[in-house]
Amino acid sequence: MSARAGWIAVAVAAAAVPLVTANTYYLYLAMTIGIFVVVAAGLNVLAGLTGQISLGHAGLYAIGAYTAALAATRLGLGFWTALPLAIAVTAVIGAAVALAALRLSGPYLAMVTIAFGIIVEGALVEWVALTGGPGGIFDIPKPAVGGAPLALGRYYWLVAAAAALALVLTRNLARSAWGRALVAVKSSELAAASLGLSAYRVRTAAFTVSAAFAGAGGALFAFLNGYLSPDSFTLQTSILFLLIVLFGGLGTLAGPLVGAAALVLLPEVVRQFVEYRLILYGSLLLLSVYFLPRGVVGALARPRAARPADSGTGVPSLTQDAGDSPPTAGQAGASSAVALALTGVTKAFGGVRAVAGVTLAVRGGTVHSLIGPNGAGKTTLVNLVSGFDVPDGGTIALFDEGIAGRGPAAIARRGVVRTFQTPQLFEELSVLDNVRVGAAGHRLGWLVAALAGFGGDSPATQARARAALDAVGLGDWAATSAADLPFGHRRRLEIARALAAGARVLLLDEPAAGLAPAEVEALDALLSRLRAGGLTVVLVEHHVELVMAISDRVTVLDEGRVIAEGPPAAVQRDPAVVAAYLGTSA
Amino acid sequence: MYGLVALGYHVTWATSRTLNFSQGHVVMVGAVVAYAVHVAAGWPLVIALGVTVIASAAFGLVVERVAVRPFFRTGSPVWLLSTIALGIIVENVAMLTFGKDARAFPSTLALKPVFVLGAGVYPQELLLPVVGVALMGATQLFYHRTFYGRQLKAVAWDSEAAGLMGIDVPRAVAVAYALSAVLAGVAGVLLAPLLNVSPTMGTLIGLKAFAVAIIGGLGSAAGIVVAGFLYGLVEALVAGYVSTGAREIVGFAVVIAMLVVRPWGLGGARPARRV
Repeated sequence: MSARAGWIAVAVAAAAVPLVTANTYYLYLAMTIGIFVVVAAGLNVLAGLTGQISLGHAGLYAIGAYTAALAATRLGLGFWTALPLAIAVTAVIGAAVALAALRLSGPYLAMVTIAFGIIVEGALVEWVALTGGPGGIFDIPKPAVGGAPLALGRYYWLVAAAAALALVLTRNLARSAWGRALVAVKSSELAAASLGLSAYRVRTAAFTVSAAFAGAGGALFAFLNGYLSPDSFTLQTSILFLLIVLFGGLGTLAGPLVGAAALVLLPEVVRQFVEYRLILYGSLLLLSVYFLPRGVVGALARPRAARPADSGTGVPSLTQDAGDSPPTAGQAGASSAVALALTGVTKAFGGVRAVAGVTLAVRGGTVHSLIGPNGAGKTTLVNLVSGFDVPDGGTIALFDEGIAGRGPAAIARRGVVRTFQTPQLFEELSVLDNVRVGAAGHRLGWLVAALAGFGGDSPATQARARAALDAVGLGDWAATSAADLPFGHRRRLEIARALAAGARVLLLDEPAAGLAPAEVEALDALLSRLRAGGLTVVLVEHHVELVMAISDRVTVLDEGRVIAEGPPAAVQRDPAVVAAYLGTSA
Repeated sequence: MYGLVALGYHVTWATSRTLNFSQGHVVMVGAVVAYAVHVAAGWPLVIALGVTVIASAAFGLVVERVAVRPFFRTGSPVWLLSTIALGIIVENVAMLTFGKDARAFPSTLALKPVFVLGAGVYPQELLLPVVGVALMGATQLFYHRTFYGRQLKAVAWDSEAAGLMGIDVPRAVAVAYALSAVLAGVAGVLLAPLLNVSPTMGTLIGLKAFAVAIIGGLGSAAGIVVAGFLYGLVEALVAGYVSTGAREIVGFAVVIAMLVVRPWGLGGARPARRV
């Protein structure tokens, strides 16, 4: 059964429910599923796309429900005003929670979300004047259309439409630049930061979206039930929401639907065993994490393997399109100016002075290599320049603008983009999408537009991504999953991503490590072409042949200090360098 | 007393960077088992305590085996969910065997209050911090003086290096889980006379202890002990001057504030970022 046929079948079945039965209880169950789909779709954005787990969604759900109920009972607002109000209030509170919580991860994030849920639950019970305390809120008026209150059967259509809308919105989001950014941040926070993408900002957005969905679900629930009490919003509810998403399938479109249907209906089916309900939930949770890492939907879906058209050709030729200029933001007149200037930069780890006063000038449009024995401080220097570490002292200037002390994402946005010793790819994305994350960088457009389906890349961004892929010779691999890419190509993809991100200065941390000789030659050719296009390259490398062949200047570091600098040939003959590499007796 | 349960989080966190999120349920298991042996079967308290220690250690081992080991060092916090799942299951089992209702756990130390500085407290309440501190001391001794304890410390420091030195890392983690569960189980026995015994008693205790562990710093036993006392003090003050219901709200608000300002806890060290 194709996915499309499946969706049509679900839609038909959902539409048929009120026609087949007028039984209030069945309708109520069906609507509960619909509401859970809305909440779970939002949670799926958070847990599925960004990989963050929230155990406090019942709190957000409660805020949506109580906002709607209070708006309707106290302020006399109708359904159509109360619903957006509830969504807005929940989104704002969700954003506040996210700002506090999302600097953390793992058990710390779990703690904050649990604590938030308990605070909300406590407030529902304690703040009697507002929430009615343990007794809750009664007599929430039925939503009305055209002045006439909706019967239960009619309200069903509304809930079903909301559930469908929630799924469509999350699908749009997942396909947008935002969606790619969310997955990118989950795959490799470091790489995302190196491309100018702040994980914190992206996750906060995801949490806010999921809060808005939870708020909508809560409002729908308030109008369905007609009364609210704190019992509906406990930690158990939060766990149930998470279980729905996990069981259905993290990050899958249909997951929330499957999960919600299963977890609402299963306890009904085995109603005579009501005492065993917690065992059922616990076991399902265990089973989901054991056997179904992508949930029921993920287990049913056939894995699709996209392979390049000419996977047999091995190393793609890099010389084929020498006429094309690489897609760098190259500074035409910058070749003589100093692109990157370090003055007296120091960094110590405990008692070890990894970088002890390095002064260095990298001229624009050149390839400048940093070499030195292991532990000389090369990688630390790359970390300092790219913002992954903060220098203890000294200044770092990019085209005369001081960048020392700024975060990696901020530095990347100014045009200093690095690669990593171990390539950090977004494994869950395709090769092209990896580059598109770089091309979009932090310019993700409006989140609301992404939800509405207008979150595609601009043609210029797409062209940049394509051009960057072609520049490194990976054009034919665009549809391959990054996880399936051979090792040599992984480095190349990282470079393409950096180019697409608009690198003015490219920091390469041992790009030749582990490459076959033919691949090193290809790398040499690639770097030459990039330099011809005006790009400045800082190359940290052990591969001496490559360094000597490509570099305009070479700086030799030893024990955190510059011991030699100059053109490759001169450096090679420098006695201090020979001593550092081979020992003084040589 | 939260300190005692919270110390259990520290023990497993330090060795394996994982936590038993059903720690509160171990407290419940401890209380329920002690109730069954001591009150229901009428055996002496000492035997009940012994059985509780064995039962909670066994539960700790099961948690480690079923919920943690399969996901150990996969990098994903799946253990978080699987330990919660086990806790839910145990709670349900307790409900089926023990019944839903809370039952009183009689103790000669919780019959009539004595007056200390004008405030009425049960001797049992005074016993708690004493036993708590004693157990924490014993844990520290175990760590510093015994072979097993040193192994755990080695694993905590660098599990890879410990593994290369011939230490059985999975076994060390299992021992940590058992130890952690014993601390919680004993806390359950101590708390039983004060709180009444019920299958649902564990969740909140577990969460509060987790809060204490976070405030104190997951990596710092001393920080946790201090945080445990502070947390109990703040709770008592809020309950006394504001309301019992506000207790939870304030307590957890403190945790959030703490995590925003100083996520590594009172006694922990700021972690270095590695690239």
